[in-house]
Amino acid sequence: MKRLLALMLVLMLVVSGCSPKSDETSSGKDEIAEYSVLYSGEITTLNYLVTSTTSEFALAANLVDSLIDFDKYGVAVPGLATEWESSPDGLVWTLKIREGVKWVTHDGEEYAEVTAHDWVDAAKYLLNPANESKTANIFYSVIKNAEEYYNGEITDFSQVGVRAVSDYVLEYTLKKPTPYFLSMLNYVCFLPANGAFLEEVGDRFGTDNVNFLYNGAYIMEIFEPQTRRVLVKNQNYWDKDNIFIDRINMTYNQEAATLGPELFARGEVDYAGIPASLVEEWMQDPSKKDMIRPNRTSFYTYFYALNFDPQFDAEYEPENWKIAVNNRNFRKSLFHALDRVAAMTTAEPYNPEQRLSNTITPKNFVDFDGKDYTEYGKLKEFTNTDSFNPDLALKYRDEAKKELEGKAKFPIIVYMPYNSGSTEWANRAQVIEQQMENLLGTDYIDVVIDAKPPTNFLSEVRRSGKYAFLECNWGPDYADPETYTDPFYPGGTYNFPEYVEGYDDPNGQKRYTNLVDAARAEVNDLDKRYELFAEAEAFLIEEAFVVPYALGGGGYSASRLNPFESQYSPFGVSPERYKGQKLLEKPMNTEQFLQELEKWEKERVEALKNAN
Amino acid sequence: MLKYSIKRLLQSLLTLFIIVTVVFLLMRLLPEEGYFGDAYEKLDEAQKEAILTNMGLRDPLHIQLINFYKNLLKGDLGESITFRPKVPVMEIIKDKVPYSLYFGLASIVISLIVGVTLGIAMARNKSKFWDKFGTGYVVFIRAVPAAVYFLFIQIYITGIFKLPMLFKINDPKTWILPTISMSLGGIASYAMWIRRYMVDELNKDYVKLARAKGLDSKKIMVRHVFRNAFVPMAQYLPATILFTIAGSIYIESLYSIPGMGGLLVEVIKRQDNTLVQALVLIYSSIGIVGLFLGDILMAIFDPRIKLERKGGAR
Amino acid sequence: MGKGAVNKLRNSIEDNLKEDELFEFAEFDEEEAKRGGYSNYSYWRSTWKVFISNRLAAFLLILIAALLLFTFIQPQLPNQKSPTKIHNHPETNLPLKNVKPNEEFWFGTNSIGQDLWARVWSGTRTSLLIAIIVGCWEAVVGITIGALWGYVRWLDRPITEIYNIINNIPKTIVLILMTYILKPSMFTMIFAICLTSWIDMARFVRNLTIIIRDREYNLASKCLGTPTRRIITKNLLPYLVSVIMLTIALSIPSTIGYEVFLTYIGLGLPVSTPSLGNLINEGRLLILNPSQRYQLIFPAIVISIITISFYILGNVFSDAADPKNHV
Repeated sequence: MKRLLALMLVLMLVVSGCSPKSDETSSGKDEIAEYSVLYSGEITTLNYLVTSTTSEFALAANLVDSLIDFDKYGVAVPGLATEWESSPDGLVWTLKIREGVKWVTHDGEEYAEVTAHDWVDAAKYLLNPANESKTANIFYSVIKNAEEYYNGEITDFSQVGVRAVSDYVLEYTLKKPTPYFLSMLNYVCFLPANGAFLEEVGDRFGTDNVNFLYNGAYIMEIFEPQTRRVLVKNQNYWDKDNIFIDRINMTYNQEAATLGPELFARGEVDYAGIPASLVEEWMQDPSKKDMIRPNRTSFYTYFYALNFDPQFDAEYEPENWKIAVNNRNFRKSLFHALDRVAAMTTAEPYNPEQRLSNTITPKNFVDFDGKDYTEYGKLKEFTNTDSFNPDLALKYRDEAKKELEGKAKFPIIVYMPYNSGSTEWANRAQVIEQQMENLLGTDYIDVVIDAKPPTNFLSEVRRSGKYAFLECNWGPDYADPETYTDPFYPGGTYNFPEYVEGYDDPNGQKRYTNLVDAARAEVNDLDKRYELFAEAEAFLIEEAFVVPYALGGGGYSASRLNPFESQYSPFGVSPERYKGQKLLEKPMNTEQFLQELEKWEKERVEALKNAN
Repeated sequence: MLKYSIKRLLQSLLTLFIIVTVVFLLMRLLPEEGYFGDAYEKLDEAQKEAILTNMGLRDPLHIQLINFYKNLLKGDLGESITFRPKVPVMEIIKDKVPYSLYFGLASIVISLIVGVTLGIAMARNKSKFWDKFGTGYVVFIRAVPAAVYFLFIQIYITGIFKLPMLFKINDPKTWILPTISMSLGGIASYAMWIRRYMVDELNKDYVKLARAKGLDSKKIMVRHVFRNAFVPMAQYLPATILFTIAGSIYIESLYSIPGMGGLLVEVIKRQDNTLVQALVLIYSSIGIVGLFLGDILMAIFDPRIKLERKGGAR
Repeated sequence: MGKGAVNKLRNSIEDNLKEDELFEFAEFDEEEAKRGGYSNYSYWRSTWKVFISNRLAAFLLILIAALLLFTFIQPQLPNQKSPTKIHNHPETNLPLKNVKPNEEFWFGTNSIGQDLWARVWSGTRTSLLIAIIVGCWEAVVGITIGALWGYVRWLDRPITEIYNIINNIPKTIVLILMTYILKPSMFTMIFAICLTSWIDMARFVRNLTIIIRDREYNLASKCLGTPTRRIITKNLLPYLVSVIMLTIALSIPSTIGYEVFLTYIGLGLPVSTPSLGNLINEGRLLILNPSQRYQLIFPAIVISIITISFYILGNVFSDAADPKNHV
């Protein structure tokens, strides 16, 4: 047996001795700021002109710079463009490109200078359908003739509204005045790419760190899919004094959510998301309590939609639901009956309130002169009130019962499918079912939950209208409240409010459509524009077409980064950048986080006022 | 034998063709939304069409199939479409195989040596200490779900011995734990089956005869009993060895080993047709060759087994 | 008998009888034939006797029977809670989440306030039902096809090829397609597992069959013109019973294990239908969490009991099923 054991050990040593690769660069350099992190989902590509997935362009954001940046308060600051101005009619934007910025290859060698032509070449690449860009539509939603070129109606690229006036002057021509255009320049479809390089590598552009050019803060030194990535500081970067982390090690681990916290506690990584089930445990452990803090919420918005065009199976009585959903009191009874805190405890048991949102458009999304959009007009009423109100719910229920008596069959079946791929969602569906039935009574509603497979979930359920009451979400495409009207405007695939009975305006359109149209038409006066959009959004909530629920992000994490140092913007690549962030000696705790948050909010108001 | 082998291999080619074609068609039954992942939501129709056309999914089915086989004959397995778009499939697979192969082979060697030794010890000392110890071990491994004890081992053993938790290529210390964890299940099942067959064999008359003849009991065990007991297991051995390249999903995800474990599941979920087809092709070839080798191995161990059909027997 | 005596006997026979008088044809008598074939030895009775004489086996048999019985009558017992009902605090109206085991909740509650006791039993019910149906299916289909495959030579090629095809089409594709076409439910899961699971059993039986197919007694049987069906059922299967029983006994825990695996890769049952698979999977995340670890331990214990019992029962039974162990 001993001999056997010895043999085994030798075998093991031999095999491990001649292991596949051995390429660790000697970590002899001392005093470098190194940040290590686990990640659980591998990217499919580095090609920032193709992807629309945040985790993918989050990497590219650190490798390639954008025309404009946002500072930590969300004020637009120069990036690769040093100055910009728009023509009086708002149709032509001219940007001055920073001189002397270099493209470098993955081993740090200079390749070319960054010029205005790089944006033209990137656009050409983007608008070629063969390149499968997933963000081309965002580009051609604003740029003149771009959609026509994409669809092949125009073959002459010079007619598309992007032009290099000279090496350092770039000009965009828009379809129509777009007040939020500047914020879009921070998105992936407006990043530059060197045309010669694109041609040189062809299809392989962005498939790995070699077939990629860098002009941003970091260079990707190592890229081994499903293994690790290493980013090192770009020594040629134009703003390298603002890069404080020299090296970022990312290690792939599919079980990062389970193992991350333990690895953080052992000091092997500098960041770990703390799953909801662990938060309480850590909070009670004196040695771990100071390691964790809440996360900031994102601009992803979650809401419950009431479907006005029910297409689900007859066994769940879609006709009956249709009668009920067209009754305002019925809708309002559901609106006030949903206990959102109880629902949120399935995702965020420790501090459920931090993620709740009372509006569709999140707070701090856009502002005018420091006045937040959610503080405009009627929307303000909802911003600060919890929709859950048992008394009101019961009051509306009684009225609805009276009005629907003889018209609808009680209990009304509220058909609520959920995605069985998400445990949290499945739990939440059960919580909501029981909570609403308990409050309103099973003689009034019968919430039926139904597990649907993750495969094709959205097409099968939401887009095809096969639900009565559904948790939906939406993320912004640009920094303007208009982006949050898309799900509800005719043509949207959410809850089809255009099928509502009543609310007809004299011009034959539904009220909501007219409200949005009026707001969209206001392109010069931002203050007025926000006012009008706020009115439209308030209408949706007031009439209980939707129940605003929550924001994305949130949860807790243990991290050696200060979240308030990071670039802040509601949209685009800036929030993904490590630029400007320093490593903390000790992770921030919850108290510090709340203090910093308060300080940041105060400073932000000042910064925004000064900016305008 | 040669004729038999050739005939069988030719037949296998037909089987392979059927398998790959069926998988090819099954993948096309999956909904189109799956090709886009989360991006689907924000795309407009023109983009979706452009992307699907580019992936070749807008061609009629038979054209897609013919193109696939044409390229296959040229030795081209194609490019990934959703897992790592535009990267040749072989490049993706090539990087991963060595890891799975190492861990798989190492764990088979360990499982075989330890498992068979344990199984023999159990059978020889039926109802004594080794048997009880072995049974206890087998029962434990079978009883606790692998998903649980792997995690347990990883967290607590690395904690006790102050080992790094994750696998690192150039740190030999990190190779040990995953290898051992992976062997645990194999040890249990080899031990269990060897014991089972050996106990069956030990009851047979020839063993009694050998004993009566006064043969050394060690010799009986190794020359006769073990050899006979090993026959049913021999069948599975080649396939098991070849299939180590498929990797272990649990171990590889826990320790961050960049092997093949779970790759097939992952690419099926992402509907990366080309990668799925390539993997299925590789795995089925292995499976077929494995079954064939198993049959041959079985015939070698037990000369009574005849694989070829001799002149119109039935 | 000495050598001399033998010689003497032979001489006397040769002396007294001629060659054709040595043997004579007996008349065929059906009654007599039956009497000759009869013995009061019953294979199954003996097997049972040997089996039950093992005290551990007897105990486990009772244990597993009791567990099965309890699992299925548990919802009918008084004071049982629903596995999906969320319990709220009577005053604050907040869910009683992660309550440790106490008098009210014997196994505590889970992260949204459902009674773990009820969930564990409901999950056991689901998982056992899946496992038993799959096990029976495997046994019937797997053994039938396996025996034919191994014994009937001309079937070997075609079935081998069919095996190769079915075995090499990834089960994940089949499962994803199934859950996509049907919806995630117990039926879908049983259906999908059954679709492919018999194949391993068939191969296993085939290999054993091939090993003993060419043994002398089978050749003899064949020469005597015994029909194939009879050779398979009377000569082969009894010989295989011991190993087959073990495999079936193991297939129940392994189906449960498979269900855990499917849940791990995200193809399991939705959590609104508790099963041991999704209970373990939810509990797994709490392994680092001493105060909530009970949510993993209880379902794990049930799985362990089922697995251990079936494993040991299978082993003892297969020992007992071996006629050589019958006295």
